[in-house]
Parts: sequence; C-alpha cells; structure tokens
Amino acid sequence: MTKLSAWDRASPGSVDHQPSEVGNHAPQSANSDWPPTGSYAGAEQPGKLQTEFVGTRWPLFWLALRTGVFTVLTLGIYRFWMKTRLRRWFWSATRPGGTPLEYVGDPFEKLLGFLIAVVILAFYIGVVNLLLMFASFSLFQQNFTAYLISFLGVIPLWFYATYRARRYVLARTRWRGVRFGLAPGAWGYTWRAMVHWAITLLSAGILWPHMTFWLEKYRTDRTWYGDARLEQGGRWTMLYVATKPLWIAAAFAACGVWADLAEHPGTAVVLFAMAGVIAVYGITHYRVTSRAILANHKRAGGVGLIATPSAPRIFGIAAFGYAATAVVLALPVSVLSLGVAIVQFAQTDVMGDLGNLGRSLSDLPQLLLIAIGIGLYFAIFLLWSSFTHVWVTMPVWRHYARHLQITNPENLTAISQRARDEFEEAEGFAEALDVGASI
Amino acid sequence: MTVIHVGPRPDPFLATGLYFDGDTAVGQKTAVSMDEEAAALVMTDADATRRWPLSDIRVLPDLAGRDQLVLRLRDEAVARLVLTDTRILARLPNAYRRAPTAKRGRLLGWAVAAIASVALIITVLVPTMADQLADYIPPEGERALGETTLDQIRQALDDSGMGTPVPLCSDPEGVAALDKMQARLTEALPAQTPLTVHVLDHRMLNAFALPGGYVVFFSGLIKAADTPEEVAAVFAHEIGHVISRDPTRHALRSAGSIGVLGLLLGDFAGGAAVLFLTEQLIQASYSRDAEAAADAFGQSLLIRAEIDPSAMGVFFQRLKDRYGERDGILEHFASHPALSERILSADIALPDGFTPRAVLSDEEWAALQSMCD
Repeated sequence: MTKLSAWDRASPGSVDHQPSEVGNHAPQSANSDWPPTGSYAGAEQPGKLQTEFVGTRWPLFWLALRTGVFTVLTLGIYRFWMKTRLRRWFWSATRPGGTPLEYVGDPFEKLLGFLIAVVILAFYIGVVNLLLMFASFSLFQQNFTAYLISFLGVIPLWFYATYRARRYVLARTRWRGVRFGLAPGAWGYTWRAMVHWAITLLSAGILWPHMTFWLEKYRTDRTWYGDARLEQGGRWTMLYVATKPLWIAAAFAACGVWADLAEHPGTAVVLFAMAGVIAVYGITHYRVTSRAILANHKRAGGVGLIATPSAPRIFGIAAFGYAATAVVLALPVSVLSLGVAIVQFAQTDVMGDLGNLGRSLSDLPQLLLIAIGIGLYFAIFLLWSSFTHVWVTMPVWRHYARHLQITNPENLTAISQRARDEFEEAEGFAEALDVGASI
Repeated sequence: MTVIHVGPRPDPFLATGLYFDGDTAVGQKTAVSMDEEAAALVMTDADATRRWPLSDIRVLPDLAGRDQLVLRLRDEAVARLVLTDTRILARLPNAYRRAPTAKRGRLLGWAVAAIASVALIITVLVPTMADQLADYIPPEGERALGETTLDQIRQALDDSGMGTPVPLCSDPEGVAALDKMQARLTEALPAQTPLTVHVLDHRMLNAFALPGGYVVFFSGLIKAADTPEEVAAVFAHEIGHVISRDPTRHALRSAGSIGVLGLLLGDFAGGAAVLFLTEQLIQASYSRDAEAAADAFGQSLLIRAEIDPSAMGVFFQRLKDRYGERDGILEHFASHPALSERILSADIALPDGFTPRAVLSDEEWAALQSMCD
C-alpha cells in the first residue's frame, strides 16, 4: 500500500490494519494488553485487578480554569456544569482493572436540587432566623443566642446533606456499565451521626474510631454495586492503629502541661508546638489509614479490596500542593491588595493634592475601580481552585487510585445491573451548605 | 440510495473493542469493523453481532486519558464500547453531540417554582413578618438591635482593612453643641422619646437612623453644612424615622433576607452578602410613604422648634450644585421624589408670625463642625 488514505492522514503514526477474520483480532498499535486482562468474559482471570490513574495535570488545569471562568461569567450558575465536567474527568481517569469509571451526573439535576434546597433554606434563614433574632433581642438583648440556635439547627441538615450527596454520586457512578447505588437512609444517618458525635465529644475523642467505624458501616452496608451489596467487615477497635500519631501528640501536649506546671515556660511552648504539628499530621494519618483499613474489610459479592495508601505521602502531597499554590498566587494577591489600597486612597482628599496623577486617579469612576477589584478577587478564586485541583486533589486522588486493588475479580461475572435511582434532587443541600466535598 | 465513492476507498476499519452490555460487570471482547454501505459500526463476538449506526454514536464528554475512547449509542443508556483506536472519531459525524436526556420540562417546572418561592419569601413573607414583629419588640430589645447594627456598620465602614470600627467623635465641646441641638428638637417632640446621637468620623455625606432611637451623622455631612439649621433639618428628618420605627422594621427585614441572598450566590462570594448588608443599612431606602412621613414629621418638628424648615432644601440644592449626582452622595435623601419635590420646591407653608431662632451660637457651630478633627 503506497497511497496514504484519509484514515491514515487523519491519524499520523498509526499502522496498517489488515482486514482479518472475525475472531482473529487485529493487533493493536499501542497496547498489546488490550483489552485488559480480566475485563472480558472467557479469558483467564488474574488474581487481582490493579487500579490505574491516567489523568495528567495540564488537561485538568485547563478544564478547571475554563469551567471556572464560565462559572464567574454566569454568576455561579455554571458551577453545576463545572462540577459535573470535573467529575467526569476524574472518574474517567480512574481505571480499576484498566476500565474507566463513568460519571453520568446531570448538571440540570444538580441545579434543580440546589433550587429545592434553597427554598427550604430560604425559609429557614428568612423566617426561622428572623423569629430567632426577634426572640433573642427581645429576651436577651443580644443576637448570640439566635446565632447559636440557628447554627445548632443546621447541624442535622449538614449530616443529612452529606448522606444525600453520597447517594447521588454513587447513583451516578458506573464501572463497566454497571451502576453503583446507595439505599435511602439520610435521616437514619443523621441521628446516628449526631449520637456518635455526642459520644465522641463526651469521651474527649477517645471513641472517635467507634464513630468512624459505625458511620462507615452504616453507609457501606447500604451501598450496592449492581446487584451486589457491599458489607463492612471488621471491628471498630481495629481503627486504633490509625490513631498512633494522635496519641504521640497527646503525650507531647501532656509533657507540655507538666513542663508548664514545673515552671519551664520555654520548654512548654516548644512541646506544645510539637504536639500541634504532630496532631495536624495525625489527623491526616487517621483519615488515610482508617479509610484504608475500612476498605480492606469491605466485601461485595465475594469481591474485595486491598488499599495501601501512604499517609505520609498524602500529607506531603497536600502540604506541597498548598504551599506551591500559595507561592503562585502571591503575585495576584499583592496586585489585588495594592488595587484595594489605591481605591481607598483615591477617595481621600489627599489625592487631590498629589498633582495631576492624583487628581486623575480620584476622578476615575469608582465603579470602574470596584469592578477591577471584583475581577481580580474572582481571578484569585479561580486560580486557587485550578491550582489546588492540579496540585492537591488530583495527586491525592491518583495516590489513592494507584494503591487500590480489587481481589477475586472472577466473582464480578456474577454481578449484574441495578435499576436507575432517579433521585432528581441530586446533592442540593450539599451544594447549598457546602459540605466540603472538593469534587 | 447509491453511494458513489470518489477517489480511494477508506481502508477497512478493524479494531478490538471492549463491549459492556450494561447488564453484567464483565465485558465482551469484540471485533469492531465498519459496514460502509449501512454506515454502521459492527461488533462481532461469540454471542452476537451488534450494529451501531455511525450517526447515532456519541463519545463520552470530558474523558481523561487520550488512549481510550468510550462510546455510547444515542438512545442506549447503559451499554458502552471502549476502543483504543481513536481513528474512529473521523467517522463519527455526531461524536460530540449531546445525547438526549429526559424530563427537562419537569425540571424546568420545579426550577420556576423554586425561584418563585424564594422571591415570595424575600419580598412578601419576610417583610410582612418583620413589620409585625417590629411592633412587638420591647424597648430594651430594640435598643440592643440598634446597638448591634451600629457596631456592624462601624466595622464594615472601616477603610483600614484591619477590622477596627470607625471611631465615634467625642470632642466634649462638639458633643455639647450636638446635645443642645438635640434638646431643642426633643423639646418640641410630643412625648419623651429616648434618642442617642453619634457622629461617625467618616467622610461620607450621610446620616441614618437605627432601631432604638439611634441617630448617626457622618462627619462629612456636618462639614458640608453651612449652618447648624441645615444639620438640624436632617436631624429632624431622621427623628421622623425613629418615631415611626422604620429602622426597626428595616433591620429585621435585612436580618431575614440578606442570608438568603448570600445563599443564592453560593460559596463563591461569601463577602458579597456582608457588603450588601452594610449598603442596605446605610442607604436605608425606606418606602416612598415612609420617607414622605418622615419628611412631613421633620418639617413640623422644625417649625415647632422654631427652626427654618427651608434649611434642608437649601442644603441639598447646594450639595447637588456642588457635587452633582456623583457617587450617589445625595441618593439617600434626594433620590426620593416625595422628599426632594416638596423640599426643593421650597413650597412650605409657614405659620403666621413665624420667626426662626438660631440653633447654635457661632462658637458652638464651629465646635460641632470640628468635633472629629
């Protein structure tokens, strides 16, 4: 074959494909292991499926920046599309056993869910808060009581929102064409979470693993992959391993108290500082390690997981990522502060005494200056979110993904599809309350 | 239809795909070829042969990783074909068109209902409740509300960015002059109304009333006045708001509705709600009727206190001449037609034998004007 066909011109570097008999598949140009072993029926199944992560930084950065700009231009409406598109990207970049996850969430569902949540919260903020404010001023001559009661009232909603958000995300996640799902149970989760938090606080945090385990068990035991239900095995005490750094931090703090009582204030300060640093790491360590232990005890239809994320690595990724973002953003932030200073200075009488430049600055329409300020403010927001996606969220996600294996994949053959969970309210409350899901 | 190929025919497309039928969690290794005559993709494996019309095939959007393509059929919700051969893209005319999603109409209905409910809460429910509650709030509660609001405004007006509240001017001679002016006006008030007057050290040309009898001047306004009568006229107008409890209703309304607006804007701009709150409280744009009532009250109060009621019209006409409409300095007072029309027309019926009495001596007036220096 001497002539280049339209096919080949459209795809430089590709090799010739000879027609061949069905069943005698043509060799693939790049991947010799395509389709991935274990992903199709009839072939021998490997003992484990390794998870791959194929996303790279630049495409993510541009996606985050582009959708962020649209979000600003649409006064925040596009944020539902932004989140959907970013999730599609992250999901498709994650390939357990070589086949990608798929996110099929619909931005319109998210927008609708948000609007429904806004109606309920508008009633709460508008009417309930107004009554609380009135009662608080009338009875106690201050508004602190109103804020406190109002805040306490939001706590159950927050738990409710996190469960519903998880339900929506799982209902819109597929792997190998099969849906995940989370059974309804947000109110059950809400009261359990509040009781567990009360126990944790009353025990000064010592029973934290108890809460982590039972809340995760509540969620996991209601999670489905196709027609296979997940089960959380293990015991809550197994999570104490993950608390080790926190105990070390507590020991340092105790030594600090002792040094303070023994009137060594210098030593005490050093010990408290060390306790603080260790505690910050300890919280990350607990989150990462407990998540891994819990994952290793999950089962679904005979399929299991092996998770081996490294807490120090994740801590390092986050620390480096935020530090790098801060360094990159230092320039725009200083420009913004200078701008704010100029706007304020331009309003003072001093400006008129500064000659022509001063006068022309003070004559600049204030609206223009404010518009520039707001523009910069949003630009910083955008850059912050784009850079943290690239330097924190993505590397952390990648680390978790690459340290996840699926055991006994031969049992997947027995798993089949589940019906669609319509759940159109999506994660409305989670959107409105910002439950802290970065993606 | 007969398809006539001009030039070399495209090479036969042949690839290995991974097909997920949307039922089992394990795929089918499938041979993918092209039926040129029918313009369809043909998947052949041990179980079956599937044909997907090329024009109905969509590529999933926002895929990461360029080495795999995930394809779906327009009207198939769950079945997927994963290919590593991206050359297929050139053959899919509608690869990036959106697959249809159902029930948009219902979603739209809900959205409209949701927006209408929020609008109803902000514009009807909260104001009505605030107006009702304002009549029942006890005096101590009302004063506490005013005090809190004043603190918030002083915090928000701070230009230094350090969060230190804008100072209140407390020069004793200036305070004494202001007290004298207040005494002159309250003497003429029908009942004893507790009033607290403050001067904020801020260049803004403004004055406002807060719940619980607080009247606050910006030093900018006092400096811009030529005579004490002009300040007294503004004072009388603000007392009119205090008497009719406009600020109480307004503060309660704001407490209810500002949070909702912050919620709508999302986590993207948390600061916007706070800014808006301050703006609302300072620029307190009461209803036309409320302004007219405060205006009428102010005029009669000035006349009873033997102060020339035309001072206000003179003051604002001068400010208008000097500053124009720039920066909305006069917005608070002058943008209310009910007020400006009547005052600026200087069409005020004075009682027979009305002889105005000076409000402050020259020294007192000088002390008042310089009380923030």
